[in-house]
Amino acid sequence: MDGPAVAVDEVTRVFEPRRKRDARVVALDGISLEIPRGDIHGLLGPNGAGKTTLVKILSTVLVPTSGRARVLGYDVVEKARDVRPLIGIVFGGERGLYWRLTGRQNLEYWGALYKLSAARTRSRAQELLERVGLADKADERVEQYSRGMKQRLHLARGLVGEARVLFLDEPTTGMDPLAAREFRSLIGELKGEGRTILLATHDMVEAETVCDRVTLIDRGVILATESPRTLGHVISRYQRIDVEGAEPDLLARVRGIPGVHSISQADGGARIEIAEEGATGTVLKLLVDSGVTSVKTSLPSLEEVYVHLIGDRGLEV
Amino acid sequence: MRGFLAGVRLQAAIVRAEYDVVLPFFTAPLFTIIFLMIVRHSGRHDLQPDALMAPVLMTMWWLALFQGGNFVTSDRWQGVLEWALATPVGLPAVLLGRIGGIMVFSLVGFFETWGVGELLFGVGIPLEHPLELALTLLATVFAMSGTAVAFAALFVLTRNAITFMNSASFPFYVLGGVFVPIAILPGWIQPVSSVIFMSWSADLLRASLKPAHIDNFWGRLGMIMLLGAISFAVGRAVLNLVLRRMRVTGELVAV
Repeated sequence: MDGPAVAVDEVTRVFEPRRKRDARVVALDGISLEIPRGDIHGLLGPNGAGKTTLVKILSTVLVPTSGRARVLGYDVVEKARDVRPLIGIVFGGERGLYWRLTGRQNLEYWGALYKLSAARTRSRAQELLERVGLADKADERVEQYSRGMKQRLHLARGLVGEARVLFLDEPTTGMDPLAAREFRSLIGELKGEGRTILLATHDMVEAETVCDRVTLIDRGVILATESPRTLGHVISRYQRIDVEGAEPDLLARVRGIPGVHSISQADGGARIEIAEEGATGTVLKLLVDSGVTSVKTSLPSLEEVYVHLIGDRGLEV
Repeated sequence: MRGFLAGVRLQAAIVRAEYDVVLPFFTAPLFTIIFLMIVRHSGRHDLQPDALMAPVLMTMWWLALFQGGNFVTSDRWQGVLEWALATPVGLPAVLLGRIGGIMVFSLVGFFETWGVGELLFGVGIPLEHPLELALTLLATVFAMSGTAVAFAALFVLTRNAITFMNSASFPFYVLGGVFVPIAILPGWIQPVSSVIFMSWSADLLRASLKPAHIDNFWGRLGMIMLLGAISFAVGRAVLNLVLRRMRVTGELVAV
């Protein structure tokens, strides 16, 4: 069956209050999204944006209030039984495992839930424990694992059923930077195997490093979907120039060039914002002709786009 | 079937890992000693086999209530339940496997009680009707499993399941005629007792230990199976309803 791996069409999810004094929560407000097969798609947004709700709907544990969602062509509500063997779910945090059982016992249980034979479950568990670097600790109880080790076990659990589509919800929560880097390289390997991955994360570096495209979501609404390298266009169509060692009079001349929007100075350097096509070349030529050698052009980073679109709301959810 | 076997294997691993599962096997010898001392002190040596059957049923009931009845709730708090629902194997099959596993395990209490009686008092379980005894024990395991499924489903619906668990044991022991036959309870209690499978199990277990012919064995065994099957059906229906509702509301709703 052709078509996208994940297709979300006008999906809304409303949580009705259980008590009159509670507010009605619109977790997803008519979102639409398509993820091509074999892509790694990032889902970025603050707490309460609707990321986990979308993952739950796609993994068949929650039904949408309205709209349709399909995974590999199967409707997640009407064909939930067909969807389940095709998906794997990995989520952050320490819950979701039997702590008093060993890592191996946990994996073997989940293997059985994916209808693997007993022999295949055993070999698959060993294979995955080696792949996520837990082979030496496989027979220790999960309660003795560090947070990062539990996270690796979660990943192995998500892969136990040979899923063709993986939903990863904050998968590197609690991992140290090196483990998180290894994890990203593992995600690259999974993509190489032809799997489609939806990665819900707060981590801009993670999204920028591994994702083919990212979707910014806030308060249940999609703000933008783009490649992380070109998402900067959402807030600026033009490059900006970071320069070091430029004298104030040179910067004043730059400010006079048509198409230069603004210049901000900090830490001995300056950032020149461009607002018109063609102005970048003129500015670069002037800077180089004036003897400035430390010059860098770039689009706004993913993090800047995130802050620009989501807004700086501090700890507010 | 794979879900059922996965549940059995999971429960076997949990029994090996969690020592609180074997708690009733520490209390069963104590109850055996207490009940045997009571009947011997009263000069009712003929009731010694009855005194041995009571701890057996109490062990089974404890495991059905505190373990089997708690599986769904405990999976929910451990964050396992939601993601288990997203796997190809149905949760009810896994639950049946886990409950079946723990209830078969509960039969250890039978041999333990027998051993304690022999060792400390020289009183064993008299095998007057061994086939009937074995069939009654198996029917009781089935009915206990059905009851545990019903508990598991109902406990998900309330945040106060632990209160019920803590207070439900002894009233059920009395109503189920575990030690005192319901025939000697007040008349108005007897209709209530007759819909509790344990009262049929206790009577039939006691009857199978005595030399006298067992009246209407198959009919009484059928009642145990019937009441167990009703509990299964109610539990399964409530569980399916709860799980369907969970997908719609987003939570296992407390009432």
